[in-house]
Amino acid sequence: FRYTRNLVDNGNGKFNLMILCWGEGHGSSIHDHTDSHCFMKILQGNLKETLFEWPEKKGNGEMAKKSERVLRENQCAYINDSIGLHRVENISHTETAVSLHLYSPPFDTCNTFDQRTGHKHKVTMTFYSQFGERTVC
Amino acid sequence: LPAGLSQWFPALEVLDVSGTGLAEMGAELLSLPCLHTLLAKNNRLGGPGSLPKGLGQAPLARSLRVLNLSGNRFAEVPPVLLQLRGLHSLSLGGNRLHSIPPDIQELRSLEFLYLGGNFITSIPPELAKLPSLKYLVLCDNKIQSIPPQLSQLHSLRSLSLHNNLLTYLPREILNLVHLEELSLRGNPLVVRFVRDLTYNPPSLQELAGRTVKTRNVPYAPSDLPENLVRYLSLASNCPNPKCGGVYFDSCVRQIKFVDFCGKYRLPLMHYLCSPECSSPFSSASQSSTSQSESDSEDEASVAARRMQKVLLG
Repeated sequence: FRYTRNLVDNGNGKFNLMILCWGEGHGSSIHDHTDSHCFMKILQGNLKETLFEWPEKKGNGEMAKKSERVLRENQCAYINDSIGLHRVENISHTETAVSLHLYSPPFDTCNTFDQRTGHKHKVTMTFYSQFGERTVC
Repeated sequence: LPAGLSQWFPALEVLDVSGTGLAEMGAELLSLPCLHTLLAKNNRLGGPGSLPKGLGQAPLARSLRVLNLSGNRFAEVPPVLLQLRGLHSLSLGGNRLHSIPPDIQELRSLEFLYLGGNFITSIPPELAKLPSLKYLVLCDNKIQSIPPQLSQLHSLRSLSLHNNLLTYLPREILNLVHLEELSLRGNPLVVRFVRDLTYNPPSLQELAGRTVKTRNVPYAPSDLPENLVRYLSLASNCPNPKCGGVYFDSCVRQIKFVDFCGKYRLPLMHYLCSPECSSPFSSASQSSTSQSESDSEDEASVAARRMQKVLLG
């Protein structure tokens, strides 16, 4: 009942290429990219990307939004930790969305951030499926 | 819809008329006995005639499983829709709804309900009567509070409440043991302690209801008017373990912050049946630190740890 991450290729350990499927209203948390490059291309539908500044060390206030944009079909985006943090959402209540993501080097943990306080929390990311096979937890 | 639809396609199971500018769907639907999925999103439906009269008596009322009316112009849930007894999945996302009718509880088979992107301001407690509801989406509305009865949705796996006007949550939300996902971002959740809110003394109806419930006065549906039977079924239990009372609409409300292992502090609203009940929880100084409160702290922190895994950022 949330967006799914579906691994397509792991490039001999050099990158992760995956397809994300977003239902209506599905969104991600605010997250970083663990020192990796992250490319994203919209394959279907639209996704809203909101960029945030890194919170101050002590993180005790609402996080600052840098910018937001709606990415349309076939548009690409890039982010890494020096650019900032982002939240990606399918804000449509009628259409699903599909995006292609390339992470290099691959990573399976990242930090998620509470928008109200800037507090971060390390999480392990999981795949819904890998190479077409459903991943059983 | 073309008039000969059921003659040309008597075995039709899935009908997708999305994005066709449709303003009305009439009697042509009523004679499709096998139809289980009807997708009519992004149209101009919403006025009278959007759904045919007699829908409740048609084979469709039992056969239809999935109905998607998202991206239309519905300002209210058409009453005839509530007769679709077999419906498992209903989407009215991106319409113009201002409220959810209490009779939504008639959709006994409903598992998936998408109401995101409307103008809904409150949730009727009757929504909690849907026994099979697994997935409830209420994001992007104008909801100011969640009724505590929502904790009766025992099958609920996923609850989407992001981008609303919630300042607190009912403490009962911790009772949703099967919940796997909860989204709360984009709500003005209070971050500071809020003093006790005004206590409105109970009405005579409430006092009578409390007596019936706490003294276990037996009653059958034939003994009371239907609206009172319904009222009695909405009783909530006072969370004060020393009280054991019930309340309906009149209660003392107190915000207590439940700390999710230092990561999130969620303001949970405790409903107590009377001002006398508040003493075991909070000291007279109305302190906001949860360490000083004993009784429900253990159950709250266990539930909070479980909830932490469930909270989506």
